[in-house]
Amino acid sequence: MNLREFNAAGIEAFRDFLENARQNPATPVPTELLTNDALTTEVQPTVDVEQRRFATRAGAAEYLATLLSSVDSGSAAKNGGLWTWIALFFFDQVCPAKNGRRDVKNDYRYIFEPDNPRHFYRHILFIAWRVITIAPTHNRLFLSGSVSSLDQVTAEVMKRLYLTRIPCIFEVLERLYWDEKRGRARAGIVTRAVVKPGDLIHRLPLRIRQLEMTYDLQSLTADKLIELLGDEFQRWKAPAVAAGS
Amino acid sequence: MIKRVNFTGRRRIPQRHAKIEIPDGKPPTFNAAIDLDGMQMPSKAKVFLEAISVGSTLVRRFDFGTVGAIEVPKDRSLDGFDPDHVLFALKVVDQSERIGRILGAAQNIRPERIGNDEPSESKGILPIVESDELGQQLWDLDFREHFVCLRVNKNIPGLKDRAHWDSTVYSLVYPAVVREVLRKAIEWGAEYDEQSDHWAVLWLRFGRDLHPTKESPPTFAGPSDEDVDGWIEEVVQAFCDRHALKDIYLSRLPKDDGGDV
Repeated sequence: MNLREFNAAGIEAFRDFLENARQNPATPVPTELLTNDALTTEVQPTVDVEQRRFATRAGAAEYLATLLSSVDSGSAAKNGGLWTWIALFFFDQVCPAKNGRRDVKNDYRYIFEPDNPRHFYRHILFIAWRVITIAPTHNRLFLSGSVSSLDQVTAEVMKRLYLTRIPCIFEVLERLYWDEKRGRARAGIVTRAVVKPGDLIHRLPLRIRQLEMTYDLQSLTADKLIELLGDEFQRWKAPAVAAGS
Repeated sequence: MIKRVNFTGRRRIPQRHAKIEIPDGKPPTFNAAIDLDGMQMPSKAKVFLEAISVGSTLVRRFDFGTVGAIEVPKDRSLDGFDPDHVLFALKVVDQSERIGRILGAAQNIRPERIGNDEPSESKGILPIVESDELGQQLWDLDFREHFVCLRVNKNIPGLKDRAHWDSTVYSLVYPAVVREVLRKAIEWGAEYDEQSDHWAVLWLRFGRDLHPTKESPPTFAGPSDEDVDGWIEEVVQAFCDRHALKDIYLSRLPKDDGGDV
Protein backbone atom coordinates (compact mmCIF):
# COMPACT_ATOMS: atom_id res chain seq x y z
CA MET A 1 0.00 0.00 0.00
CA ASN A 2 1.17 3.51 -0.69
CA LEU A 3 1.80 5.77 2.29
CA ARG A 4 -0.96 8.33 2.78
CA GLU A 5 -1.90 11.07 5.21
CA PHE A 6 -5.23 11.96 6.72
CA ASN A 7 -6.95 15.27 6.16
CA ALA A 8 -8.91 16.87 9.00
CA ALA A 9 -12.00 14.78 8.26
CA GLY A 10 -9.88 11.63 8.24
CA ILE A 11 -8.42 12.45 11.63
CA GLU A 12 -11.91 13.01 13.02
CA ALA A 13 -13.12 9.69 11.56
CA PHE A 14 -10.23 7.94 13.31
CA ARG A 15 -11.02 9.82 16.51
CA ASP A 16 -14.62 8.61 16.30
CA PHE A 17 -13.36 5.05 16.02
CA LEU A 18 -11.16 5.48 19.10
CA GLU A 19 -14.12 6.76 21.08
CA ASN A 20 -16.31 3.88 19.90
CA ALA A 21 -13.60 1.36 20.67
CA ARG A 22 -13.40 2.62 24.24
CA GLN A 23 -17.13 2.03 24.62
CA ASN A 24 -16.99 -1.27 22.81
CA PRO A 25 -13.49 -2.77 22.88
CA ALA A 26 -14.46 -5.30 20.22
CA THR A 27 -15.09 -2.60 17.58
CA PRO A 28 -13.33 -3.64 14.37
CA VAL A 29 -10.46 -1.45 13.19
CA PRO A 30 -11.69 0.73 10.29
CA THR A 31 -8.88 -0.06 7.87
CA GLU A 32 -11.07 1.15 5.03
CA LEU A 33 -10.30 4.70 6.18
CA LEU A 34 -6.70 4.21 5.10
CA THR A 35 -7.52 4.33 1.40
CA ASN A 36 -10.59 6.56 1.45
CA ASP A 37 -9.85 9.30 -1.07
CA ALA A 38 -12.18 11.71 0.71
CA LEU A 39 -10.22 11.35 3.93
CA THR A 40 -6.65 10.83 2.77
CA THR A 41 -4.10 11.92 0.21
CA GLU A 42 -1.14 9.99 -1.05
CA VAL A 43 2.30 11.12 0.09
CA GLN A 44 4.41 12.32 -2.83
CA PRO A 45 6.69 10.94 -4.09
CA THR A 46 4.95 7.66 -3.40
CA VAL A 47 6.30 5.42 -0.69
CA ASP A 48 5.37 1.77 -0.26
CA VAL A 49 4.43 0.81 3.30
CA GLU A 50 3.88 -2.73 4.46
CA GLN A 51 2.81 -4.49 7.62
CA ARG A 52 5.68 -5.52 9.89
CA ARG A 53 5.89 -7.07 13.32
CA PHE A 54 7.91 -4.94 15.70
CA ALA A 55 9.39 -6.80 18.64
CA THR A 56 10.43 -3.53 20.26
CA ARG A 57 10.13 0.19 19.67
CA ALA A 58 13.58 0.01 18.07
CA GLY A 59 12.21 -2.15 15.28
CA ALA A 60 9.44 0.34 14.62
CA ALA A 61 11.88 3.25 14.75
CA GLU A 62 14.22 1.69 12.23
CA TYR A 63 11.42 0.78 9.85
CA LEU A 64 9.85 4.24 10.08
CA ALA A 65 13.21 5.94 9.52
CA THR A 66 13.65 3.96 6.33
CA LEU A 67 10.05 4.49 5.28
CA LEU A 68 10.31 8.26 5.68
CA SER A 69 13.85 8.67 4.40
CA SER A 70 12.61 10.46 1.30
CA VAL A 71 10.36 12.79 3.28
CA ASP A 72 11.76 16.03 4.69
CA SER A 73 12.15 15.34 8.39
CA GLY A 74 11.08 18.84 9.37
CA SER A 75 7.84 18.47 7.45
CA ALA A 76 7.24 14.96 8.76
CA ALA A 77 7.67 16.19 12.33
CA LYS A 78 4.84 18.68 11.82
CA ASN A 79 2.47 16.44 9.87
CA GLY A 80 -0.41 15.39 12.09
CA GLY A 81 -2.26 13.65 9.27
CA LEU A 82 0.73 11.51 8.33
CA TRP A 83 1.44 10.15 11.81
CA THR A 84 -2.21 9.62 12.54
CA TRP A 85 -2.55 7.59 9.34
CA ILE A 86 0.55 5.55 10.26
CA ALA A 87 -0.92 4.86 13.69
CA LEU A 88 -4.08 3.45 12.12
CA PHE A 89 -2.03 1.42 9.64
CA PHE A 90 -0.12 -0.21 12.51
CA PHE A 91 -3.03 -0.14 14.94
CA ASP A 92 -2.82 -3.86 15.68
CA GLN A 93 0.61 -3.21 17.10
CA VAL A 94 0.19 0.11 18.86
CA CYS A 95 -3.07 -1.08 20.40
CA PRO A 96 -3.05 -4.88 20.24
CA ALA A 97 -6.20 -6.88 20.81
CA LYS A 98 -6.28 -9.41 23.60
CA ASN A 99 -9.06 -11.92 23.31
CA GLY A 100 -10.61 -9.73 20.66
CA ARG A 101 -10.72 -6.64 22.86
CA ARG A 102 -8.51 -3.55 22.78
CA ASP A 103 -7.52 -1.25 25.60
CA VAL A 104 -7.62 2.08 23.75
CA LYS A 105 -5.55 4.76 25.46
CA ASN A 106 -5.81 8.54 25.13
CA ASP A 107 -6.26 9.94 21.64
CA TYR A 108 -2.82 11.54 21.66
CA ARG A 109 -1.20 8.09 21.66
CA TYR A 110 -2.52 7.62 18.13
CA ILE A 111 -3.55 11.06 16.84
CA PHE A 112 -0.47 13.20 16.44
CA GLU A 113 -0.73 16.80 17.65
CA PRO A 114 2.55 18.40 16.58
CA ASP A 115 1.79 21.80 18.06
CA ASN A 116 0.57 20.62 21.43
CA PRO A 117 3.53 20.70 23.85
CA ARG A 118 1.74 18.35 26.26
CA HIS A 119 0.80 15.78 23.68
CA PHE A 120 3.29 15.71 20.81
CA TYR A 121 5.78 13.44 22.55
CA ARG A 122 3.12 10.95 23.56
CA HIS A 123 2.41 9.68 20.06
CA ILE A 124 3.94 6.22 20.24
CA LEU A 125 5.18 5.87 16.67
CA PHE A 126 6.18 9.48 16.12
CA ILE A 127 8.35 9.51 19.21
CA ALA A 128 10.08 6.26 18.21
CA TRP A 129 10.95 7.85 14.86
CA ARG A 130 11.97 11.11 16.51
CA VAL A 131 14.37 9.29 18.84
CA ILE A 132 16.17 7.42 16.11
CA THR A 133 16.26 10.53 13.93
CA ILE A 134 18.03 12.68 16.49
CA ALA A 135 19.87 9.86 18.29
CA PRO A 136 20.94 7.14 15.86
CA THR A 137 23.14 5.74 18.63
CA HIS A 138 22.88 5.72 22.41
CA ASN A 139 19.12 5.32 22.21
CA ARG A 140 18.53 2.12 24.16
CA LEU A 141 16.81 3.92 27.03
CA PHE A 142 14.08 4.98 24.65
CA LEU A 143 13.73 2.19 22.14
CA SER A 144 13.90 -1.01 24.15
CA GLY A 145 10.28 -0.94 25.24
CA SER A 146 7.12 -2.18 23.62
CA VAL A 147 5.64 -0.37 20.66
CA SER A 148 2.24 -0.41 22.37
CA SER A 149 3.21 1.68 25.37
CA LEU A 150 5.16 4.78 26.26
CA ASP A 151 7.53 4.56 29.22
CA GLN A 152 8.17 7.42 31.58
CA VAL A 153 11.87 7.73 30.77
CA THR A 154 11.09 8.44 27.13
CA ALA A 155 8.32 10.87 28.00
CA GLU A 156 10.38 12.79 30.55
CA VAL A 157 13.28 13.30 28.18
CA MET A 158 11.56 13.78 24.85
CA LYS A 159 9.13 16.41 26.13
CA ARG A 160 12.07 18.62 27.08
CA LEU A 161 13.34 20.02 23.83
CA TYR A 162 16.18 21.88 25.52
CA LEU A 163 17.58 18.51 26.57
CA THR A 164 17.26 16.86 23.19
CA ARG A 165 19.06 19.76 21.49
CA ILE A 166 22.30 19.02 23.37
CA PRO A 167 24.44 16.94 21.00
CA CYS A 168 25.97 14.65 23.63
CA ILE A 169 22.90 14.24 25.83
CA PHE A 170 21.88 10.80 24.61
CA GLU A 171 25.31 9.37 25.31
CA VAL A 172 25.25 11.00 28.74
CA LEU A 173 21.82 9.60 29.52
CA GLU A 174 22.77 6.11 28.40
CA ARG A 175 25.96 6.10 30.41
CA LEU A 176 24.19 7.35 33.52
CA TYR A 177 20.89 5.56 33.46
CA TRP A 178 21.09 2.42 31.31
CA ASP A 179 21.29 -0.76 33.40
CA GLU A 180 23.37 -3.19 31.37
CA LYS A 181 22.49 -6.17 33.53
CA ARG A 182 18.76 -5.64 33.39
CA GLY A 183 18.75 -4.48 29.79
CA ARG A 184 16.57 -1.51 30.74
CA ALA A 185 16.64 1.79 32.56
CA ARG A 186 17.99 1.83 36.08
CA ALA A 187 15.36 1.58 38.78
CA GLY A 188 14.30 4.71 40.62
CA ILE A 189 15.34 7.36 38.13
CA VAL A 190 11.81 8.55 37.33
CA THR A 191 10.08 8.23 40.69
CA ARG A 192 7.89 11.30 40.68
CA ALA A 193 7.07 11.46 44.37
CA VAL A 194 10.66 11.31 45.62
CA VAL A 195 13.59 13.49 44.67
CA LYS A 196 16.75 11.40 44.56
CA PRO A 197 20.23 12.83 44.04
CA GLY A 198 21.09 12.65 40.38
CA ASP A 199 17.74 11.28 39.27
CA LEU A 200 16.47 11.76 35.75
CA ILE A 201 13.06 13.19 36.46
CA HIS A 202 13.90 15.94 38.94
CA ARG A 203 17.60 16.63 39.25
CA LEU A 204 18.91 16.18 35.74
CA PRO A 205 16.65 18.82 34.13
CA LEU A 206 17.45 21.31 36.89
CA ARG A 207 21.15 20.68 36.69
CA ILE A 208 21.21 21.04 32.91
CA ARG A 209 19.33 24.32 33.23
CA GLN A 210 21.99 25.55 35.62
CA LEU A 211 24.88 24.38 33.48
CA GLU A 212 23.56 25.86 30.27
CA MET A 213 23.82 29.27 31.89
CA THR A 214 27.54 28.78 32.37
CA TYR A 215 28.75 26.31 29.76
CA ASP A 216 28.41 26.03 26.04
CA LEU A 217 26.63 22.68 26.07
CA GLN A 218 26.61 22.51 22.29
CA SER A 219 30.35 21.90 22.29
CA LEU A 220 30.79 19.63 25.32
CA THR A 221 31.72 15.97 25.13
CA ALA A 222 29.77 13.40 27.13
CA ASP A 223 32.76 12.92 29.44
CA LYS A 224 32.90 16.63 30.18
CA LEU A 225 29.18 16.99 30.72
CA ILE A 226 29.05 14.04 33.10
CA GLU A 227 31.91 15.57 35.04
CA LEU A 228 30.16 18.92 35.21
CA LEU A 229 26.90 17.39 36.37
CA GLY A 230 28.62 16.78 39.69
CA ASP A 231 29.02 14.15 42.35
CA GLU A 232 25.34 13.40 42.83
CA PHE A 233 25.18 11.93 39.32
CA GLN A 234 28.28 9.76 39.57
CA ARG A 235 26.42 7.09 41.57
CA TRP A 236 24.37 6.26 38.51
CA LYS A 237 27.30 6.07 36.15
CA ALA A 238 28.01 2.71 34.54
CA PRO A 239 31.48 1.19 34.85
CA ALA A 240 33.78 2.19 32.04
CA VAL A 241 32.63 -0.26 29.37
CA ALA A 242 31.49 0.23 25.82
CA ALA A 243 28.31 2.24 25.98
CA GLY A 244 27.22 2.22 22.35
CA SER A 245 23.78 1.24 21.33
CA MET B 1 23.34 17.88 48.42
CA ILE B 2 22.19 20.26 45.72
CA LYS B 3 25.09 22.15 44.20
CA ARG B 4 24.67 25.70 43.06
CA VAL B 5 26.37 27.06 40.03
CA ASN B 6 28.61 30.03 40.40
CA PHE B 7 27.63 32.43 37.65
CA THR B 8 30.54 34.77 38.38
CA GLY B 9 32.08 36.10 35.23
CA ARG B 10 29.21 35.42 32.89
CA ARG B 11 27.68 38.55 31.52
CA ARG B 12 24.31 39.23 30.10
CA ILE B 13 24.64 40.73 26.64
CA PRO B 14 21.77 43.09 25.92
CA GLN B 15 19.80 41.95 22.89
CA ARG B 16 20.51 45.22 21.07
CA HIS B 17 24.01 43.92 20.41
CA ALA B 18 22.62 41.47 17.86
CA LYS B 19 20.33 42.84 15.18
CA ILE B 20 18.82 40.09 13.09
CA GLU B 21 16.42 40.00 10.20
CA ILE B 22 15.09 37.22 8.03
CA PRO B 23 14.39 38.46 4.50
CA ASP B 24 11.93 36.74 2.21
CA GLY B 25 13.36 33.74 0.42
CA LYS B 26 13.47 29.98 0.20
CA PRO B 27 15.21 28.41 1.90
CA PRO B 28 15.18 31.18 4.50
CA THR B 29 18.42 32.83 5.51
CA PHE B 30 19.18 35.56 7.99
CA ASN B 31 21.24 38.70 8.19
CA ALA B 32 22.89 39.62 11.46
CA ALA B 33 24.87 42.57 12.71
CA ILE B 34 26.74 41.78 15.90
CA ASP B 35 28.44 44.55 17.80
CA LEU B 36 30.20 43.71 21.05
CA ASP B 37 31.84 47.07 21.53
CA GLY B 38 31.78 48.11 25.16
CA MET B 39 31.20 44.56 26.46
CA GLN B 40 34.85 44.19 27.45
CA MET B 41 35.10 40.57 26.39
CA PRO B 42 38.44 38.89 25.60
CA SER B 43 39.26 39.52 21.99
CA LYS B 44 40.06 35.85 21.35
CA ALA B 45 36.79 34.53 22.74
CA LYS B 46 34.62 32.79 20.16
CA VAL B 47 31.31 34.28 19.06
CA PHE B 48 28.45 31.99 18.08
CA LEU B 49 24.93 32.70 17.00
CA GLU B 50 22.51 29.81 17.44
CA ALA B 51 19.22 29.55 15.63
CA ILE B 52 16.62 27.60 17.58
CA SER B 53 13.46 26.27 16.02
CA VAL B 54 10.75 26.81 18.61
CA GLY B 55 8.82 23.61 19.19
CA SER B 56 11.34 21.28 17.62
CA THR B 57 14.74 19.80 18.35
CA LEU B 58 16.33 21.74 15.51
CA VAL B 59 19.21 24.02 16.46
CA ARG B 60 21.88 25.37 14.12
CA ARG B 61 25.05 27.10 15.15
CA PHE B 62 26.83 29.80 13.17
CA ASP B 63 30.44 30.74 13.82
CA PHE B 64 30.92 34.51 13.86
CA GLY B 65 34.66 34.41 14.51
CA THR B 66 36.02 36.06 17.62
CA VAL B 67 35.20 39.11 19.68
CA GLY B 68 38.19 40.89 18.20
CA ALA B 69 37.49 39.81 14.65
CA ILE B 70 33.81 39.21 14.03
CA GLU B 71 33.18 37.55 10.69
CA VAL B 72 29.75 36.98 9.30
CA PRO B 73 29.63 33.41 7.93
CA LYS B 74 28.75 32.99 4.30
CA ASP B 75 26.33 30.16 4.96
CA ARG B 76 23.44 31.58 6.96
CA SER B 77 20.83 29.16 5.70
CA LEU B 78 17.88 28.41 7.91
CA ASP B 79 16.78 25.49 5.76
CA GLY B 80 14.26 23.45 7.71
CA PHE B 81 13.27 26.38 9.93
CA ASP B 82 9.95 28.18 9.92
CA PRO B 83 10.93 31.89 9.88
CA ASP B 84 8.03 32.72 12.17
CA HIS B 85 9.29 30.30 14.80
CA VAL B 86 12.98 31.05 15.08
CA LEU B 87 14.76 32.45 18.10
CA PHE B 88 18.44 33.20 18.32
CA ALA B 89 21.01 33.00 21.07
CA LEU B 90 24.27 34.92 20.99
CA LYS B 91 27.10 33.31 22.92
CA VAL B 92 30.63 34.41 23.64
CA VAL B 93 32.63 31.34 24.61
CA ASP B 94 36.03 31.02 26.25
CA GLN B 95 38.52 29.17 24.08
CA SER B 96 41.62 29.72 26.15
CA GLU B 97 41.40 29.16 29.91
CA ARG B 98 38.23 27.24 30.71
CA ILE B 99 37.27 26.01 27.31
CA GLY B 100 33.56 25.86 26.75
CA ARG B 101 32.70 28.36 29.44
CA ILE B 102 30.19 31.02 28.43
CA LEU B 103 31.56 34.49 29.04
CA GLY B 104 28.49 36.31 27.85
CA ALA B 105 25.14 35.52 26.30
CA ALA B 106 21.95 37.00 24.98
CA GLN B 107 19.05 34.57 24.85
CA ASN B 108 15.72 34.44 23.08
CA ILE B 109 16.54 37.06 20.48
CA ARG B 110 13.69 37.57 18.05
CA PRO B 111 14.40 38.80 14.54
CA GLU B 112 13.65 42.48 14.25
CA ARG B 113 12.08 41.88 10.89
CA ILE B 114 10.74 38.80 9.12
CA GLY B 115 10.06 39.20 5.41
CA ASN B 116 8.24 42.45 4.86
CA ASP B 117 6.77 42.58 8.36
CA GLU B 118 7.11 45.68 10.43
CA PRO B 119 9.77 45.48 13.14
CA SER B 120 8.46 43.38 16.01
CA GLU B 121 7.50 44.94 19.31
CA SER B 122 7.95 43.84 22.87
CA LYS B 123 4.97 41.85 24.18
CA GLY B 124 5.55 41.88 27.93
CA ILE B 125 5.74 38.78 30.05
CA LEU B 126 2.22 37.49 29.41
CA PRO B 127 1.00 37.74 25.83
CA ILE B 128 -2.72 37.10 25.43
CA VAL B 129 -3.82 35.12 22.41
CA GLU B 130 -7.16 33.83 21.20
CA SER B 131 -7.61 30.09 20.79
CA ASP B 132 -10.35 27.98 19.25
CA GLU B 133 -9.11 24.83 21.00
CA LEU B 134 -10.53 25.56 24.43
CA GLY B 135 -13.97 24.01 24.09
CA GLN B 136 -15.92 24.99 27.20
CA GLN B 137 -12.88 26.43 28.96
CA LEU B 138 -12.72 30.21 29.12
CA TRP B 139 -8.96 30.39 29.35
CA ASP B 140 -5.83 28.43 30.03
CA LEU B 141 -2.10 28.92 30.06
CA ASP B 142 0.06 27.64 27.23
CA PHE B 143 3.57 26.88 28.42
CA ARG B 144 6.08 26.65 25.62
CA GLU B 145 9.79 26.38 25.82
CA HIS B 146 10.43 30.02 25.08
CA PHE B 147 7.28 31.75 26.24
CA VAL B 148 4.13 31.38 28.22
CA CYS B 149 0.91 32.95 27.09
CA LEU B 150 -2.66 33.32 28.31
CA ARG B 151 -5.03 31.71 25.85
CA VAL B 152 -8.59 32.96 25.88
CA ASN B 153 -11.54 31.35 24.17
CA LYS B 154 -11.89 32.74 20.68
CA ASN B 155 -15.58 31.93 20.66
CA ILE B 156 -16.33 34.49 23.36
CA PRO B 157 -16.47 37.83 21.55
CA GLY B 158 -14.25 40.48 23.08
CA LEU B 159 -12.76 38.31 25.79
CA LYS B 160 -9.20 39.02 24.73
CA ASP B 161 -9.72 42.77 25.03
CA ARG B 162 -11.65 42.42 28.27
CA ALA B 163 -8.77 40.45 29.78
CA HIS B 164 -6.79 43.69 29.46
CA TRP B 165 -9.22 46.26 30.79
CA ASP B 166 -12.29 44.65 32.39
CA SER B 167 -11.68 44.30 36.11
CA THR B 168 -14.51 41.78 36.47
CA VAL B 169 -12.49 39.52 34.20
CA TYR B 170 -8.89 40.13 35.17
CA SER B 171 -9.52 40.23 38.92
CA LEU B 172 -10.84 36.68 38.68
CA VAL B 173 -8.28 35.36 36.22
CA TYR B 174 -4.93 36.91 37.01
CA PRO B 175 -4.37 35.70 40.58
CA ALA B 176 -4.72 32.14 39.31
CA VAL B 177 -2.44 32.97 36.39
CA VAL B 178 0.26 34.38 38.65
CA ARG B 179 0.01 31.36 40.93
CA GLU B 180 0.33 28.82 38.13
CA VAL B 181 3.05 30.58 36.17
CA LEU B 182 5.23 31.11 39.23
CA ARG B 183 4.90 27.47 40.18
CA LYS B 184 5.94 26.39 36.69
CA ALA B 185 8.84 28.85 36.71
CA ILE B 186 10.13 27.44 39.98
CA GLU B 187 9.70 23.86 38.81
CA TRP B 188 11.50 24.77 35.61
CA GLY B 189 14.57 25.50 37.70
CA ALA B 190 15.05 29.17 36.95
CA GLU B 191 16.89 31.54 39.24
CA TYR B 192 15.45 35.04 39.49
CA ASP B 193 18.87 36.64 39.24
CA GLU B 194 20.04 34.67 36.22
CA GLN B 195 21.44 36.65 33.35
CA SER B 196 18.64 35.54 31.10
CA ASP B 197 15.54 36.80 29.35
CA HIS B 198 13.77 33.45 29.58
CA TRP B 199 10.13 33.72 30.58
CA ALA B 200 10.67 31.74 33.78
CA VAL B 201 13.42 34.09 34.91
CA LEU B 202 11.38 37.18 34.07
CA TRP B 203 8.42 35.84 36.01
CA LEU B 204 10.52 35.00 39.06
CA ARG B 205 11.95 38.53 38.99
CA PHE B 206 8.40 39.81 38.77
CA GLY B 207 7.44 37.67 41.77
CA ARG B 208 10.46 38.65 43.78
CA ASP B 209 9.80 42.36 43.17
CA LEU B 210 6.19 41.92 44.23
CA HIS B 211 6.95 39.92 47.36
CA PRO B 212 6.24 42.04 50.47
CA THR B 213 9.77 41.54 51.84
CA LYS B 214 11.45 41.06 48.45
CA GLU B 215 12.18 37.49 49.43
CA SER B 216 13.89 35.46 46.73
CA PRO B 217 11.93 32.54 45.30
CA PRO B 218 12.79 29.20 46.87
CA THR B 219 14.46 26.45 44.89
CA PHE B 220 12.18 23.65 43.77
CA ALA B 221 12.78 20.64 45.96
CA GLY B 222 9.99 18.41 44.74
CA PRO B 223 6.22 18.28 44.84
CA SER B 224 4.42 19.40 47.99
CA ASP B 225 7.16 21.85 48.87
CA GLU B 226 5.77 24.12 51.60
CA ASP B 227 8.40 26.80 51.00
CA VAL B 228 7.32 27.08 47.38
CA ASP B 229 3.64 27.09 48.29
CA GLY B 230 4.18 29.77 50.91
CA TRP B 231 6.27 32.06 48.75
CA ILE B 232 3.82 31.88 45.86
CA GLU B 233 0.85 32.64 48.08
CA GLU B 234 2.64 35.68 49.51
CA VAL B 235 3.33 36.97 46.03
CA VAL B 236 -0.24 36.36 44.88
CA GLN B 237 -1.57 38.16 47.94
CA ALA B 238 0.77 41.08 47.23
CA PHE B 239 -0.37 41.14 43.62
CA CYS B 240 -4.02 41.31 44.68
CA ASP B 241 -3.26 43.99 47.26
CA ARG B 242 -1.30 46.14 44.86
CA HIS B 243 -4.10 46.13 42.33
CA ALA B 244 -6.89 46.22 44.96
CA LEU B 245 -8.63 43.46 43.06
CA LYS B 246 -11.45 42.89 45.52
CA ASP B 247 -12.34 46.57 45.71
CA ILE B 248 -12.13 47.12 42.01
CA TYR B 249 -14.20 44.01 41.36
CA LEU B 250 -16.89 45.17 43.80
CA SER B 251 -16.98 48.61 42.23
CA ARG B 252 -17.77 47.13 38.84
CA LEU B 253 -20.48 44.74 39.98
CA PRO B 254 -24.03 45.63 38.97
CA LYS B 255 -26.14 46.86 41.89
CA ASP B 256 -28.29 44.24 43.61
CA ASP B 257 -31.69 44.31 41.95
CA GLY B 258 -33.27 41.96 44.48
CA GLY B 259 -33.84 39.29 41.87
CA ASP B 260 -33.80 35.56 42.33
CA VAL B 261 -30.70 33.99 43.71
